[in-house]
Amino acid sequence: MTIEIKNICKSFEGKNKNLSVLKDINLTINDGELICLLGPSGCGKTTLLRLIAGLEQPSSGEIIANGEVVKKPSGDRAVIFQQYSLFPWLTVLQNVTFGLEMTKKGTKEENIAAAERYLESVGLIDFKDSYPHELSGGMKQRVAIIRSLLNHSPILLMDEPFSAVDMQTRHKLQEQLIGVWKRFNNTIVFVTHDVDEAVYLADKIVILDKNPGRIASIVEVDIERPRRRDSREFIQIQESIVKDLDMEK
Amino acid sequence: MYENYKSKLISLILPIVIIIFWYLITEGFHIVNPYILPGPIEVCNSAWDLILSGKLLKNTIDSLFKVFGGLILASIVAIPLGVLLGWYKTLEDLCSFVISILRPIPPIAWIPFSILWFGIGTVPAIFIIFMGCVFPILVYTLDGVKRTDKVLIESAQTLGASDGKVISRVVLPSVFPYVVSGLKVGVGIALMCTISAEMIGSSSGLGYMILQATSRFDPGTTVVGMIVIGLIGLILDYIFGLAQKRIFW
Repeated sequence: MTIEIKNICKSFEGKNKNLSVLKDINLTINDGELICLLGPSGCGKTTLLRLIAGLEQPSSGEIIANGEVVKKPSGDRAVIFQQYSLFPWLTVLQNVTFGLEMTKKGTKEENIAAAERYLESVGLIDFKDSYPHELSGGMKQRVAIIRSLLNHSPILLMDEPFSAVDMQTRHKLQEQLIGVWKRFNNTIVFVTHDVDEAVYLADKIVILDKNPGRIASIVEVDIERPRRRDSREFIQIQESIVKDLDMEK
Repeated sequence: MYENYKSKLISLILPIVIIIFWYLITEGFHIVNPYILPGPIEVCNSAWDLILSGKLLKNTIDSLFKVFGGLILASIVAIPLGVLLGWYKTLEDLCSFVISILRPIPPIAWIPFSILWFGIGTVPAIFIIFMGCVFPILVYTLDGVKRTDKVLIESAQTLGASDGKVISRVVLPSVFPYVVSGLKVGVGIALMCTISAEMIGSSSGLGYMILQATSRFDPGTTVVGMIVIGLIGLILDYIFGLAQKRIFW
């Protein structure tokens, strides 16, 4: 599903003056593309993601997903939040099938079977009857991703989902995400402040600058997957982005 | 385990000391006139008589019926109302002034009207208990709705849940612990209201039994009534405590 972001401005009303968070954002995200929104904190990358999700409304401009103007949240655009977002009163399996129940896709048996298959594929099948508080941070985020995938959301919006886990787990989750993305061909918008993560994941890195948030540059990452962090081209792109970010400061 | 027994044993020391002291100043050395304070043996005799005659059981059941009648009625009104007011800001603004004025009125102050409207008996007592419980349950529920984790609501929305589904599948379960706390507070108030109501506008129940005994110069029965009320409170508190422990979210 294509996402078109047209002339988006977003400001929040403050006490004395309006705080302009995003200004004149124009961006087209192609179907099946994995793009990263990269930038310092306060550049409005999360706000942009929330606008795409329909969780916030733009002050002006519009966002078109699959030919329709985004007005409110929908099951087509799943969000994976930075904070853990599993329902604590439901088991892993119940969490994972939640979206299917909401959209009334499939029978109960079909949904459970599908959920079990997905959980199996990321090695979480033994935890299907566990509750979220019994899982580690990385496991919770994997369950959250499965929950969105199972719902067949064509667009996945991910807001620094791996920022709270340790480095090894983060690398593993990134690898799994790429695997999932190749299999399901979702359009993914991934917010991060980690240059390494962006270069590892993205087809295209959109670098945002702050005050007010705007697109500073767009970097195409044309490296074959699976990407190696120690390859020359990886390091080159990483260094040039880091230099760009430093200059903006 | 040993620590557990130890703390239970320690908690028994004071009651035993109090009973011994009580025995010594009354039936032991006759320092206090039995009409001022009956001794423990007299109280036990009264209790035995009340048990044999079935009066104690009848009055206890009668009082408990009112307690739960009032509490259930209050829950039926307060929980849905609390959810609605918590979810729709306008509705809360509309009602907040009325609630703020009605809430501090002691339930006992409704006794004159309850007698006027409902006469003497069970119904006016239930009305007073209702007035006593409805506000704490309402306020706890409302507070719980407002404290519902925003990420969970947004997750449900981006998984395709409608507003109604968000309320029934996310808000309600997340409010549940607050409702139980509200009920725990409510049951204490209900017990107080029941006894007060029975003393004024009733012809049955533990409160009525206590008042009757006093006018018949039977202080033993009065004490039995008071102890039974205390025990009921203890047991109900324990049950709600258990329920709270079972909620893990």
